Amino acid sequence: MSEQKAAEPKRWELGPESEYRFEVDPGVSLAIKLVQGHAEIFGFELAEGKVYLFGFECKAALYTWKGCVIEISEPSTEYISDETPMRTYANLHIALEQMRVRALRQIRGSPVPSHDTSKSDPPRVLVLGPEHSGKTTVCKILTNYAVRSGQGWSPFLVNVDPSEGGWAAPGAISVAPVYGPIPTASPANPLGTAATTAPVSLSSNALLPLAYWYGHSETKKNPLLMDRMIRNLGENVNDRFELDPEGRASGLIVDTPSSFATGPAANNHRHKLIKACIDAFKISMIVVVGHEKLNVEVQRTYGSLLSVVKIPKSGGVVEVDYSYRERVRNYEMHTYMYGQVIHPPAGITNATLGGENLTDLVLSPSSTVINFGDLHIYRVGSDAMAPSDALPVGAARTVSEMQPVLVDPASPGSGLLNAVLALLAPPNHDENERYDEEVLDLTVVGFLVITNIDIPKRKMTVLAPNRGSFIGRTAVIGSYEWQDQ
Amino acid sequence: MSLYSHNLYGQPSYGGPSYRASPPTSNGYYYAQPPPQSPAPPVYEVDATSFRRDFSTRLAELTFNSRPIIQQLSMFAQDYSRYADIVGQCVQAHIRRVPPWMKLPAFYLLDAISKNVFEPYARQFASFVVPLYLETYHLVDDSTRGKMEEMLLTWRTGSPSGKELFGVQQQLAIERGVWGGGAAGSSSAVNFHSGSGSITKAQVLSELLYTLGQKERAVQANPYDTLSQNHIAVLQQLRMHVEAGVSQEELRQILNQLRNLVKSTVPPPILQPPAPSAPAWQSQSPFPPQISQIPQVAPQSYIQPVKIEEPPLASLSAISQPVQPTSVTAPPGNIANLLSTLLKAGVLSANGTPTGAGATVKEQDAPVELQKPEATNELIREYRDKILSENVNLYSLDSTRPSLIVDLLYNQQGLQCKQCGIRFPDTKLGKRRQDDHLDMHFRQNRKASDDVGRGHSRSWFTSVEDWIQDISGDRKGKGRSDGSGPLNAKAAAAAETAKREEDLRSQYVIVPPGEEAHIMSCPICKETLKSEFLEEDEEWVWKNATKKDDKIYHATCYAEAIVSTSSLAARLRSEKAHGSRSATPEVHPMTILSVRAMTPLATVRVSGSKSPSQSPLSDTKVATGTKRKVEHFDSNVAEEASGTPPLKKMALTSVSS
Repeated sequence: MSEQKAAEPKRWELGPESEYRFEVDPGVSLAIKLVQGHAEIFGFELAEGKVYLFGFECKAALYTWKGCVIEISEPSTEYISDETPMRTYANLHIALEQMRVRALRQIRGSPVPSHDTSKSDPPRVLVLGPEHSGKTTVCKILTNYAVRSGQGWSPFLVNVDPSEGGWAAPGAISVAPVYGPIPTASPANPLGTAATTAPVSLSSNALLPLAYWYGHSETKKNPLLMDRMIRNLGENVNDRFELDPEGRASGLIVDTPSSFATGPAANNHRHKLIKACIDAFKISMIVVVGHEKLNVEVQRTYGSLLSVVKIPKSGGVVEVDYSYRERVRNYEMHTYMYGQVIHPPAGITNATLGGENLTDLVLSPSSTVINFGDLHIYRVGSDAMAPSDALPVGAARTVSEMQPVLVDPASPGSGLLNAVLALLAPPNHDENERYDEEVLDLTVVGFLVITNIDIPKRKMTVLAPNRGSFIGRTAVIGSYEWQDQ
Repeated sequence: MSLYSHNLYGQPSYGGPSYRASPPTSNGYYYAQPPPQSPAPPVYEVDATSFRRDFSTRLAELTFNSRPIIQQLSMFAQDYSRYADIVGQCVQAHIRRVPPWMKLPAFYLLDAISKNVFEPYARQFASFVVPLYLETYHLVDDSTRGKMEEMLLTWRTGSPSGKELFGVQQQLAIERGVWGGGAAGSSSAVNFHSGSGSITKAQVLSELLYTLGQKERAVQANPYDTLSQNHIAVLQQLRMHVEAGVSQEELRQILNQLRNLVKSTVPPPILQPPAPSAPAWQSQSPFPPQISQIPQVAPQSYIQPVKIEEPPLASLSAISQPVQPTSVTAPPGNIANLLSTLLKAGVLSANGTPTGAGATVKEQDAPVELQKPEATNELIREYRDKILSENVNLYSLDSTRPSLIVDLLYNQQGLQCKQCGIRFPDTKLGKRRQDDHLDMHFRQNRKASDDVGRGHSRSWFTSVEDWIQDISGDRKGKGRSDGSGPLNAKAAAAAETAKREEDLRSQYVIVPPGEEAHIMSCPICKETLKSEFLEEDEEWVWKNATKKDDKIYHATCYAEAIVSTSSLAARLRSEKAHGSRSATPEVHPMTILSVRAMTPLATVRVSGSKSPSQSPLSDTKVATGTKRKVEHFDSNVAEEASGTPPLKKMALTSVSS
């Protein structure tokens, strides 16, 4: 790298209730240090004097309630705004806190004052909004505020946006309880990081998610499958809540794909999926971010059953294009396998990434050569159909959308090379309990990438996140591919 | 102790070589800015000058006895052990500069750093501690002197191996300075001057009081500790005798007994027997309570002596009234009796200490735990009332005042971790949580430096059963706003694994004489075994080593090999059992392993070396095992082997294809 010269740090003074918005260019990183005052990035408070790094084209904002002074290493796209919806978000947070304390009061059986007639459901929030409305950011702020209240809340963060992937790889939907504030450092892990063997100091960098593999970025590709995954996720969350009544009081926050909010009028799977979420997670509040029409629509449909709240979108949301999303997907897979490697700007030596030491974030995946038969690979639904000219004359397709079909790596059109596979948990121990579609109901334990296929020798090379064995296990292919650059 | 310096603190602290752009000149230095207004943790500093500046800035904050500040400073010092000389100079200068009433906290810092980090600080401080201590001692008031004496006594056994913290010479020199020429040496130096010098009454009394204080705390913590209760009774009698006046010989006897007693009750060396491991409070102790307990026990023992030392005096005068007549007239023989009682008790405790001390330490926390639900309930109620008093209208969310949120998120939580910015309420409970949180950072850093070079990887996700049951039973009770995550079964398992690993690492094999220079490598991982000198045994040993069939292995490698072979064998057995079902997805013993793979040790690794039980494996099975080292690629199953570090992958594929 040629830019070894240390950049002149730039100082910004932020007034109360304003935010510094920045975008990091590809291939470079940005360092921010809080010099004085209080500041937070999407609800994650920065420690004074610490250097925080941002990379992978991170687009974020540093907000301050009371004003602060910050130092920036290499200014990229940046500006300060004092028009933010943070007041609204904060008030929404307080409303959620009220629900939490009421729920806890009821769970603990404490007496309820007679004048308090509000319901005592824990906040189970579904966040809806069109593209580029900042849904994920709202979810993150609300979650971070909850864990920062000092009340020991551990809200469950649910990601049903398969294009984002949450803590897993893109293509998955997942849920994780959050115990500590979630840092923001790169778009590769907007909701915190799944656990690694490295020691980390923030619990949000070692989350234990529960994930299901949908396998595609678009919900419309296989809405039936999506519906089933959502319900599976909800069922497990409810099972857990049943065992842990007090944990239930913290509630949950569901981040959704934008396809839930907008789409052609004719597509009614959108409503079906919203309904699936509401049922599965027993949603008690819908938050609509920055979309009047959607708000009215949701209000009309669900307003009588649960509260529908409208909040403005932030002016800071960056409209990103397709190629950006594509790059972020690559970052995500890379981060899953290799961890996050961000080279700090010249002159910065001891910065932290999302509160962690950089060295601890480098991961070593393992590449293994296995026999074709060592891994049972399935494809769910119509993608798996044989070419029509291979069908017997007059035969109709028999594969339904939900049917898992075994993929033969030996067939040239298997589509396995560079494919991202979800390694599934082992099936039920009791053989009698097994069923055809069990593959659909198994959770994901990790992701694999087929990096090479040797048909003559019937072997393939598999990149796995760690050295654990996966021989004899089952994996499912989706429509994601990834190549390690 | 070299293990310690080696593994823990000898590593250049985190940063990693790859991006440690180290411009020695500070002109181009990014943060060579005007010094921060408030002392911030300057982790980004690398050069000595700025380190000195920042350390002394933060040291200047230490104007009162504050555990968080002392802890943060010692963490800072731990991170920058390469600047031990600067830390030494700063502390020394600070102590000399500040007014007498501010000197004690700085000494506590010196004490904390040398005890917790030890290497290289104790060595560093040893060069100036004697004059500094004595100079200070003569400047401060009586109560401070008492505390300093108490601290001095802890130095006798302060080193991780239970010896003098700063060395025998220094300890003696200070003791002589404090109690006059006759200061008897500490335990290990008894022979050194048993013949010479006289013991002063003051010294014996001071040690007596110290021991008494210790015992009383033990009793306070655990009212059923009858052993300590006996000790107290005996000690109080002894004290009356000493005050009444006894001969030199008796004084010496008493002193020796006392020291034996103290030695047997000082917790750290006992809980961490000879194996040169870290001081208890930051070591990965076998059971979790210790981790959080020890730090409180050790520093508190002198941080709040005032409160504790009053009762003995008061109670003593009360008790001594009726007893006085007999004891004053007590003939020398009586003292001998007392001494033997004491000895008996001492011996008893010396044998029974490990369990006894452990129990004491554990119980220490009991009262706090008991009163906690009460306090937490109170807090919950308070918070609820505050939150519910707000009138939030969901349809006009932007109308209410924003000050409340600032109050909730910032003002109400006055304590902040300077490492990660997490806040805690400025209450007793909040302080406790912050302390726990800081301890967590300690462990984290330690583990990180332990793990350097091991390589990390993404863990598999948990199984759905584990996920559903992964509940920390007392979520509300503990209020884990410190972000340290749930104390669930997994954490326990991890602690268990960590303990096992610790145990393994502490194993050693004595190097046969004459082979010290011989380089020995582990047959499994091919890495060389580290040899080092064990001071207690005065032997050269190979650390983390175990001897099996005349071969020396890394204890950790061997254990892993055993685990993986046995699990492979189990798998083979189970496969034989349902051998016909090869086409269907199988239930696999690996399941369990994959869950446990969250912890480094449990990661299944089939070692390259073939142990006999592995031989029946089919080729495929061996192939699945990933290997750590590239070097023995060619040794077996060359083609299928893999699992190489990413960088080596290219080379590998070119080799295998």
